[in-house]
Amino acid sequence: MKIGIISFAHMHAVSYASALKGMEGVILAGIADDNEERGKKYSEAFEADYYKDYHALLETDIHAVIVTSENYLHHEHVLAAAKAGKHVLCEKPLAANMKDMEEMIRICEQNQVLLGTAFPVRFNTPVQQAKKLIEQGVLGDILAIKGTNRGTNPGGWFIEKEKSGGGAVLDHTVHVVDLMRWFTGAEVKEVYAEMGNVYTDHPIDDCGIVTMEFTNGMFATLDCSWSRNQNYPTWGDVTLDIIGSNGTLKVDAFSQKLDLYSNHDGVKWIGWGDDMDAGLIEDFVTGIKEGRAPSASGHSGMKAVEVALAAYQSFEKRTPVKL
Amino acid sequence: MVYMSLAGWKLKVYREFFERGFETMRRILLIGAGTMGMEHAAHYYSMEDVHVVGIVDVRTEQAQKIIGQHDTKIFSSVEEAVEQLEKIDVVDICVPTFLHKEYVLKAADNGIDIICEKPLAYTLQDAREMIDFCKEKQVRLFVGHVVRFFPQYAQARELVINGTIGDIGIVRTKRGGNFPAGWSDWYADQSKSGGVILDLIIHDFDFLRWIFGDVERVYAKGLAERKLEHLDYALVTVTFKSGVIAHVEGTWAHQTFSSQFEFAGKSGIIEYDSLKEEPVLLSVRQSNERKDGVAVPQSPLKKSPYYSELEHFLHCLKTNETPLVTAEDAYKAMEISAAALQSLQTGVPVVLNGEGGEPV
Repeated sequence: MKIGIISFAHMHAVSYASALKGMEGVILAGIADDNEERGKKYSEAFEADYYKDYHALLETDIHAVIVTSENYLHHEHVLAAAKAGKHVLCEKPLAANMKDMEEMIRICEQNQVLLGTAFPVRFNTPVQQAKKLIEQGVLGDILAIKGTNRGTNPGGWFIEKEKSGGGAVLDHTVHVVDLMRWFTGAEVKEVYAEMGNVYTDHPIDDCGIVTMEFTNGMFATLDCSWSRNQNYPTWGDVTLDIIGSNGTLKVDAFSQKLDLYSNHDGVKWIGWGDDMDAGLIEDFVTGIKEGRAPSASGHSGMKAVEVALAAYQSFEKRTPVKL
Repeated sequence: MVYMSLAGWKLKVYREFFERGFETMRRILLIGAGTMGMEHAAHYYSMEDVHVVGIVDVRTEQAQKIIGQHDTKIFSSVEEAVEQLEKIDVVDICVPTFLHKEYVLKAADNGIDIICEKPLAYTLQDAREMIDFCKEKQVRLFVGHVVRFFPQYAQARELVINGTIGDIGIVRTKRGGNFPAGWSDWYADQSKSGGVILDLIIHDFDFLRWIFGDVERVYAKGLAERKLEHLDYALVTVTFKSGVIAHVEGTWAHQTFSSQFEFAGKSGIIEYDSLKEEPVLLSVRQSNERKDGVAVPQSPLKKSPYYSELEHFLHCLKTNETPLVTAEDAYKAMEISAAALQSLQTGVPVVLNGEGGEPV
């Protein structure tokens, strides 16, 4: 199976490309990037053909593409891929408005291509273990979830609202909202958010606390802030503390780590857990082979973004927003 | 007897004269022989110039357990204690929250200075009444917001206000563990304890107010309304006038007690997790059959925060200094709890109207 990548603007592309290279029966055939220097560099590194224009990549005989462009280009790239008959795995957030996302899902359906949203944390092994425990009913009724997805200020186009569609609240709400939906099967019905602009020297939301009510009666909060500073021992986290009627379950997706104390770099956490990105790519590829949708579909991607958009609305009006 | 039946400033003057003149021994009447009563008593017993003259509790056995070899007398009511004891300097109230008001008013009426456990009262109205009555009777009212006396909390505050980690965006705190066992299960009655929001995380509300000042608005979600047996949990977002956003977690849903905080500043992060702190960890093998040990984490300090707190209050009594935490601070912390409880019921954020007012 031949797969292409559109843009290395999002650095997850590097990890996805490595995963593709490591898979049997899969060829990373081409990389398109309007940034020629970046595109050529990675095309060489991953031994793939380089295309400056993504249309040229879509005209080749690849079966699927991974879209890792700036958020505002997801819509254009996914539509073009669908119309060219290529299955698509799109980096999150799927897009920054409901209209675009609905269209992306519709056009993919019309062209009978699969659309997946890159929610790699679903493939984190501790997270999968937690999902199994919940499905076994160990916790009883799920009453509340406290989540965090903190990170470091990513800089670049991420903090330019025209390109990213939003700051930390859009960037970091979607992963954990997706996990909460995936774990419980419940939908978010109300959103309240507080946010601020403290960590970046740029006018964009870089911290926030999102509070949600779900259709199953549970409530949840999420800290989506880019609040990890440069000397914090790691980039950030994904954690969930789940409160059930029979007990609690704590999930720390990246706590499988070594503590490194270095004269050069200070303190660093070195992860030794399974590679979740490989799981994401494998699921996408297997889905194509078997003709089934990826674990996280375009719809999952849209539902997660919907919550982030409601968070912005809530903060603007200083009141909870119903979905 | 005449001494105790007369209240008011004249007497205070006499009393202070007598104390300074030829008696430095502080005479404490402890109300309540529960968990906090036992904690306070242990510290008083270890202080040199303090005498626990009485414990008021109808549970004589419980009180006797606290007293041990000491010469403290047991009384079944404050009235009885006041009548029989020659002199009481301080009444220390360690009964469930819903009984605080009754004892504060009684002590104040007798012209005795008061140390009262937190939260000061169950309602803001009661708290205000208690503070006003103590002022009227010219007795001092100290409220046991002991977290300000925990060195890790005090030090984090110092670091934050000194700008060590720059501007703060998000603060996170957590407190709680097991559902607390209490006299006649009073914690389980929301209308007596106020659940985790009034009883537990009021500590963190006070701590955060101590650092960041006035609160702008409060939004809360919790299980209080669900009336689940022996289970409470709340997640509260407190936004300060300065713009700092605090996420405060209170739990009686976990199995192990812990307290945590994290200040995320622009140029640094301060983290604390009591579970990661194990200066002394004792693990005793139960028996040959049962292999699971009982872990007893301790945080040994020369002076426990409770000791420091009580010592500080007694010192302030002697010198007339303003304490590290005032009754007004206790009221302000209650305001945040009240706002959170209101938000829980209404489902909308509650805006605080600034100068000592009630939630609007």
